[in-house]
Amino acid sequence: MLTEFKMAKAKESLIPRLDEPASNAPPSAAAASVVGISKRFGKASVLENISFDVGEGEVLVLLGASGSGKTTILRIIAGLEMPYTGKVILHGKDVTELPARERGVGVIFQSYALFPKMTVEKNIGYGLRIRKRKRKEIKETVNELLSLVQLEEHRKKYPSQLSGGQQQRVAIARTLAYKPEVLLFDEPFGALDTQTRVHLRREIRALLKKVNVPSIFITHDQEEALELGDRVAVINVGHIEQIGTPFEIYNHPATEYVATFLGAANVLDAVVRQDFIEVGSAHIPAPALDKAKFKPGDCVKIVFRPEDVSLHRGDFVRSTHPRLANALIEEIAFVGAYERVRLRVEAGPEECKTDETSFLLTTETPDRKPSKSIIATRPKPEASATRLYVGERVVVALTSFTVLPPQGSKGAN
Amino acid sequence: MSSLVPAMRHVRGFDVARPLSIGMLVFMMLPLVFLPLASIFIFGTSNGLDKFWAALTAPEAIFALKLSMATSFWATVFNVIFGLFAAYVLSRYNFLGRNALIVTISLPTAIPTAVAGFALLLLWGPYGTLGRLLAPHGFQIMFTAGAIILANIFVTFPLAFGVIKPVFDTMSHSLEEASATIGATRWQTFWHVTLPSLRGAIVSGALLTFARAVGEFGSTILVSGNLAGRTQTAPLYIFAKFNEGQIEAANAIAIVLALFSFLIFSVLFFARDWLDVD
Repeated sequence: MLTEFKMAKAKESLIPRLDEPASNAPPSAAAASVVGISKRFGKASVLENISFDVGEGEVLVLLGASGSGKTTILRIIAGLEMPYTGKVILHGKDVTELPARERGVGVIFQSYALFPKMTVEKNIGYGLRIRKRKRKEIKETVNELLSLVQLEEHRKKYPSQLSGGQQQRVAIARTLAYKPEVLLFDEPFGALDTQTRVHLRREIRALLKKVNVPSIFITHDQEEALELGDRVAVINVGHIEQIGTPFEIYNHPATEYVATFLGAANVLDAVVRQDFIEVGSAHIPAPALDKAKFKPGDCVKIVFRPEDVSLHRGDFVRSTHPRLANALIEEIAFVGAYERVRLRVEAGPEECKTDETSFLLTTETPDRKPSKSIIATRPKPEASATRLYVGERVVVALTSFTVLPPQGSKGAN
Repeated sequence: MSSLVPAMRHVRGFDVARPLSIGMLVFMMLPLVFLPLASIFIFGTSNGLDKFWAALTAPEAIFALKLSMATSFWATVFNVIFGLFAAYVLSRYNFLGRNALIVTISLPTAIPTAVAGFALLLLWGPYGTLGRLLAPHGFQIMFTAGAIILANIFVTFPLAFGVIKPVFDTMSHSLEEASATIGATRWQTFWHVTLPSLRGAIVSGALLTFARAVGEFGSTILVSGNLAGRTQTAPLYIFAKFNEGQIEAANAIAIVLALFSFLIFSVLFFARDWLDVD
């Protein structure tokens, strides 16, 4: 086990992850796979046709709102719940019919579920004791794990004498002791305050990269998902909306749900034309658009982050970024690191309107055309260099945007 | 006025209500509890300690004490195991009639002990529903130590269960799930995870059951036959000796039983922290 840890350590990357787009391609050999899982409780369908792979040493985050079914997926992999259809495969072996205790998965429960009447070392050694391993072997493994999670001086303590973070490290060490096929984390930071949470997830990510055990995390916190995951699967009411690297799902969301669930996003109706996309009165050039997926006349949605919006006063002269619209500034709010500007822009083409509210607000715009609010953020230097005022008219340009495929058709980016 | 009281207290730094209410409490308990208990000790030792000692070490007295301890012990063993099992089943599984079972288990608390003894006689006695069939085969449990154990089991039935069940109910289910995912069988999980968490409840349940069983009188007198030196427990001995006018003999055992209950409840009270230690 020691050699495993050391080898894995050398692999650790020094480059910040979020800035390397799509380089973390899923490894070819899947350590754990879920194939076509569905689950019903009574008549209610909770999961529908869930499939994904986790590569060796990879961290996959299942991100979804509460009630999206993500915990059920975890419990099915752990063997605590039976799927209605589908298979769970761990390192090539179909374990769907195996009880939890024969699967060899490590579950880190939200409450950690440490055994209260056992000391830290007893907790960590539990998996080996029930496997009737030799005393010496148990002692060595426990010592090794205690130093790995840096809890040597707490070995004789009981769980109630430890802090939340320490308890969590004990829970991880307890599962690592029997070399689990896969580690499953059920909202592991839910019970902690924000500061500890941020600190801990960095620590745990480093630890996981060190031990190189494939891991699946469950969370509803998008920031946590982006920071922890090699890949993130966004779950929405029982199905997977998109799986991809944090970079992909943040910058190239496949669906409107993904776009809006991962931080703020502006969504506007648009229509595909020959070589451009029509939004309101603007024609945004989009030569790179996949012709197979988007046909002229298709109704689509254009998605962009508030930080992808650039605002210009007067006539728009620079042509580096496509112009989106003329806009009226409705509100300016200072929110610490940046300035948030709410603007009203012309809404999408008549033929593709999906958002009813855009027409109800028509009278508010000077042009009396259908309109919609968007949000833009400006970093501090820009905000103080060019001050903007409520009621001012500006030109809105986009530095980056994503076009979502037409309604009804499923597709990745 | 009511708003004046706390203000006065702060000014004067002394609250009359405190010594008054404490004194009142003790005074009310004097005739009800303290004095009766004290009189056992005063009376029992009034003829000198050697007389007390002689009464205590009389063979029949020793026998009665031993019999009480032994029958109570076995009733406790049975009821703790049963209570553990019943609590496990009734808190882990939901089924039709579950609440009816819970009520039935708790029922003996409310049944007069004489009724309990009488019921046992009607079942196992020589003319009882079952006893009638068994008697021709030479099987007679009534009027033996076995009958005392049966009566003890009956009257202390819900005690251990009542202490263990709430602990089961509040125990986090994820502990057992964690143990299963780590690789433990059901039995290993029960032995290593569930049982240690119940330690405090089991010890308190056992002490309560034992204390209650040692003092049992109403049902025992009916089912045991009250034969001195054979089926006479300590409380029956007190009753018998008192009826015979041997107040001292009765008194010696009474002192032992009183001290014994005092000891058990002191353990229950002062070892609470130890019993719940985690």
